[in-house]
Amino acid sequence: MDFFKDPTLYNLVRGPLVYIAFIVFIGGSIYRIKTFIDLVKKDKTIMPFINLKSTVRSLFHWMIPFNTVNWRRRPVVTIVTFLFHIGLVFTPIFLLSHNILWRESWGISWWTLPEWIADIMTLVVIFCCVFFFLRRVFAPEVRFVTFDSDYLMLVVSLLPFLTGFLAYHQMLLPHKTMVILHILFGELMLIAIPFTRLFHMFYFFLTRSFMSSQFALWKTRDW
Amino acid sequence: MAVKDVKREVVISREFKEYVRDHIPDPGLDESIKTLTPEKIEKTIKAVLPEKLSARIKAVLETCIHCGLCSEACQWYLSNDKDPTYAPVAKMRMTIWEMIKRNRKVDAEFIKQCARIVFTECNICHRCSLYCPYGLDITFIIGMVRRICFLLGVIPQRQIDQAEAHMATLNQVWLSENDWIDSVQWQEEEVGANFKDLRIPIDKEGAEVIWYPLGAEPKNGPYHIERLAKIMMVAGVDWTVPGRDVWDSSSMSMFVRDFVTMQRIVRGLYENAARLRVKTMMLTE
Repeated sequence: MDFFKDPTLYNLVRGPLVYIAFIVFIGGSIYRIKTFIDLVKKDKTIMPFINLKSTVRSLFHWMIPFNTVNWRRRPVVTIVTFLFHIGLVFTPIFLLSHNILWRESWGISWWTLPEWIADIMTLVVIFCCVFFFLRRVFAPEVRFVTFDSDYLMLVVSLLPFLTGFLAYHQMLLPHKTMVILHILFGELMLIAIPFTRLFHMFYFFLTRSFMSSQFALWKTRDW
Repeated sequence: MAVKDVKREVVISREFKEYVRDHIPDPGLDESIKTLTPEKIEKTIKAVLPEKLSARIKAVLETCIHCGLCSEACQWYLSNDKDPTYAPVAKMRMTIWEMIKRNRKVDAEFIKQCARIVFTECNICHRCSLYCPYGLDITFIIGMVRRICFLLGVIPQRQIDQAEAHMATLNQVWLSENDWIDSVQWQEEEVGANFKDLRIPIDKEGAEVIWYPLGAEPKNGPYHIERLAKIMMVAGVDWTVPGRDVWDSSSMSMFVRDFVTMQRIVRGLYENAARLRVKTMMLTE
């Protein structure tokens, strides 16, 4: 484990790999969205029916917990899903340490969360991951459609938070080693987004737009 | 009196051990798969699911995170003691995911199983799309698998019978144009005794409303025509019925995703309406 003490490794994950991760994440996402929208335009039965009003309404409808029939029918899943996604997206963006890092590197920063709140949010994400794992194992309707890639997706989103939590509390491994692991896993997750079904963070808006326009066409209420 | 215990004959899927169903003989499925060859199956699947998938299929396959939240939308799932193999996502997993995973190389037995799943365990009701957080069009996928089965000719016998009636006569009851006109005139005669002024105008140009019945109405329930005529007379509606094909507003072709016949039916309905310059089309449901 000596190579973890080598400053070159730290400089590598802290320097070039960060740029690579962000370029792959942003560039890959834009490329994938663009090719998908080009594909959509080829299908003559999608674009003419897209209804902007019902799209916006549907997005808000589904992004508010307990607002839709299915969110109300599954209260536990709803709470866990919303907590998980809020933690997953907002903790890294508004974390104090991250803000200090990009202030040092790029001279930008914005509001930050109090450290104890960020700590709790991280724990929540970790427990939500455990919940999703247990659900995949024990709920029959989920187990039947679970593949190895689903577990992999869970692990990829769990690792940055787990290592981040351990690094902050200086547990298990030496601090420096844990930080390096944390940065590596964070970059891995960013890179994974355009290549895996984690891309649902962008597809969500497109598929909802399509289906809500269909509902508007059929004059069906969005449940 | 003791009821004789009949041993339940079950079919267990080779691929999915959880998929256990009663054995139901159906010539449309059992006989038709005998003519299939692996090349024919692969060619057909590739025609519907080419390497470069269309946007609609791609959106579903690449977004679905296998969360199972659609399952409670499905009446098949709810009415079968929450058997996971009846969940909408499970139906995709057992059909299209498997076809793509095996690169479109599946055997006839698998096609038969797909046909059983998509034709007899899904009503294409779109409720799963209402329950899916992404609003994925699962039904569209099921429809595509139905199309694969249709192109291969593997369809439950009753469904292919009705679809063939549409292909041949553009109505689901094998009624010719003459038989249809005859039924209408016969019904006009029947009520003529009670209602002096009752008419069922055939091919009246410039009428307000054109009425398209379901195929079963002239064939099995001709009194429907007579009753509708009475209602229209009392309501004072200026109406007409078409004197040419297409007059049947049902489309069994839609259920097997026979795109050619679906188009012929809809085009025929609109052409009749345009020919008679009517303002409203009224369909039986």
